[in-house]
Amino acid sequence: MASLGEECSTETLAFMELAIQQAKLALDVLEVPVGLALIPKLPLPASCVIVEDGKPIASGRNRTTETRNATRHAEMEAIDFLLEQWQKNGLSMSEVAEKFSSCSLYVTCEPCIMCASALSILGIKEVYYGCANDKFGGCGSILSLNSEVTPRKGFKCTGGVMASEAILLLRSFYEQGNPNEMVWKQPLRL
Amino acid sequence: MSCIGVSIVQLFARTEHLAQEIQYFHSSEKLRSLIIVSGYYNKEKNFKREILVSAESLKLLESLIFFFDFNASRLPLKSLDLPENVIASFIDPKNANQIIRRLNQIEPLENLRHVKRVQKKILEEGLMVCRPCIYVLFWNSCFCYIVQLLTLEIYVTGQIHLSVILCLASEGDNQLDSIPPHLQELISFYQLSPFITKVCKYAATSKEEWQEQCKFWPTSYHPRTYTDSCCFRKPELSSSHPVSDIVAPNDPLHLNSSFDELKQPHMGVACLYPWLWAEQQSLAQGLSNWHPLRHAAIVAIESSAARDRLLFPSMGNNEEKYLELDHEKSSCTSSPAKRLRTIPENVDDNEKVNAVSQSSEQLSERPYLCTGYDIFLVWEPCAMCAMALVHQRIRRIFYAFPNPNAGALGSVHRLQGEKSLNHHYAVFRVLLPQQVLHKPDVEVAEIK
Repeated sequence: MASLGEECSTETLAFMELAIQQAKLALDVLEVPVGLALIPKLPLPASCVIVEDGKPIASGRNRTTETRNATRHAEMEAIDFLLEQWQKNGLSMSEVAEKFSSCSLYVTCEPCIMCASALSILGIKEVYYGCANDKFGGCGSILSLNSEVTPRKGFKCTGGVMASEAILLLRSFYEQGNPNEMVWKQPLRL
Repeated sequence: MSCIGVSIVQLFARTEHLAQEIQYFHSSEKLRSLIIVSGYYNKEKNFKREILVSAESLKLLESLIFFFDFNASRLPLKSLDLPENVIASFIDPKNANQIIRRLNQIEPLENLRHVKRVQKKILEEGLMVCRPCIYVLFWNSCFCYIVQLLTLEIYVTGQIHLSVILCLASEGDNQLDSIPPHLQELISFYQLSPFITKVCKYAATSKEEWQEQCKFWPTSYHPRTYTDSCCFRKPELSSSHPVSDIVAPNDPLHLNSSFDELKQPHMGVACLYPWLWAEQQSLAQGLSNWHPLRHAAIVAIESSAARDRLLFPSMGNNEEKYLELDHEKSSCTSSPAKRLRTIPENVDDNEKVNAVSQSSEQLSERPYLCTGYDIFLVWEPCAMCAMALVHQRIRRIFYAFPNPNAGALGSVHRLQGEKSLNHHYAVFRVLLPQQVLHKPDVEVAEIK
């Protein structure tokens, strides 16, 4: 895993900013009082943007609560969106594989083991993330799926991009609190 | 006494310190690897041969096992569980109380909760122990030897020996120098003489494994107890056999219930080569629906989430919208692609048990995700699926075939042993009876 160096370009920062904006949106959505009472727990404001050739082509945010499917992380949402789009456009499997290999992912929080594994299966080019995830991180924190070459492809991984903003976002999520105790008893993806 | 005619398990059972001895032999002889070949007759009078491989590094161990696997035919292989180094010391039983209390404050063993801090040994009076000779085949750099190991030890007194773990040892040669300063104080105060010893890294998952572990250093073992015994009716035919470290032997499986599933020609090719797998899928389903990440476990989780929304619809507008969306989704994924079940029968059983609470169908009473559910997989899940099952709070995983390329429950990774995860499931490997594997309508051979 590469650490944040000088090569962290303005472009990188801009895309991460975009991911953080998305996450903020997610946070705002849940401030709607109607939603709060009914939703047993809030999804964390983690969000991601997939970029191809310098253009953002997909974004996603956690939808674990709405779907009651704890695997619907931001990364999985964005991946599914892209797969659907590309299949609709009639791309073949090898074309889709090739497209993924030219995509970068910007995500506020280090991809978990599941997402990191999925990204390496798809053969994504590189991943930039904000804060590390010392519970589930699959890009160096717990496992390093990005650097495992066989049988899948590894990918370049850069952590700590605008980490303080990402942490701030998570903190404000927790401070916002939830009337339902479930959140604290059953921690979500961090 | 010679080890010829003794299985490795028996060998270990007879000699208390064999594992330590091997480790010591390793370091004193500067061996890179040590291989013990054992042959014996089992109860059925069949000759069994076993090889025990122990090497200085995990890498070497892996390549040796690989080598034997491919070159030395089909001998059962065992590898020594690579232990964690700790710094320990003998202590005076008079001070034991104070020392242990202090140690638990300043140096808690966070990641080794299963390891007991203190080892107690009562040495019998005047006992003379002659250690068995072991025929050992080893090589260092380029020579092969066969040697005999013989050690003699005489214990003279009936003393109680207490030793206590001080802290984890760091990597490198001068492990004893790495003792943190606040421990140094304690050591000099009680005039302890620290030494390096080994403890087992992971908590035991079966009684047998625990007994093995205790030969290194005592550990604690908490067998899993599941309160809802309704999951498996009393087995008339116990067709699962315990496999070394992943199967709790006191948990027999009744396989008849899953026979129907196995008969279907949909054996999961979960993640041997994901893109290729997508291609196979597309042939069956038409080109519009292939998805390289739609592994068996992921599909099962999706279906169970859809079921959850069906059973416990909430009043929120948002939720209802999503419910509809997933009707469409699940209709295209659930049928042929769904190659395993998220134990619908067992869920029903659970529901009967909880009928009182479930019948009211209060939102707060519904199970959280897949809490308490079991999943049956043909192949050991990959890292993505294994982690997805953690997220979804699956209780137990049963799988039949390990996946040496990508398996994350023992083969490549061992997710169930990752302490940091917020949920841990029990993992079982099911040994399928021969007649199931050889049924012509089960397409196991094709997949392999």
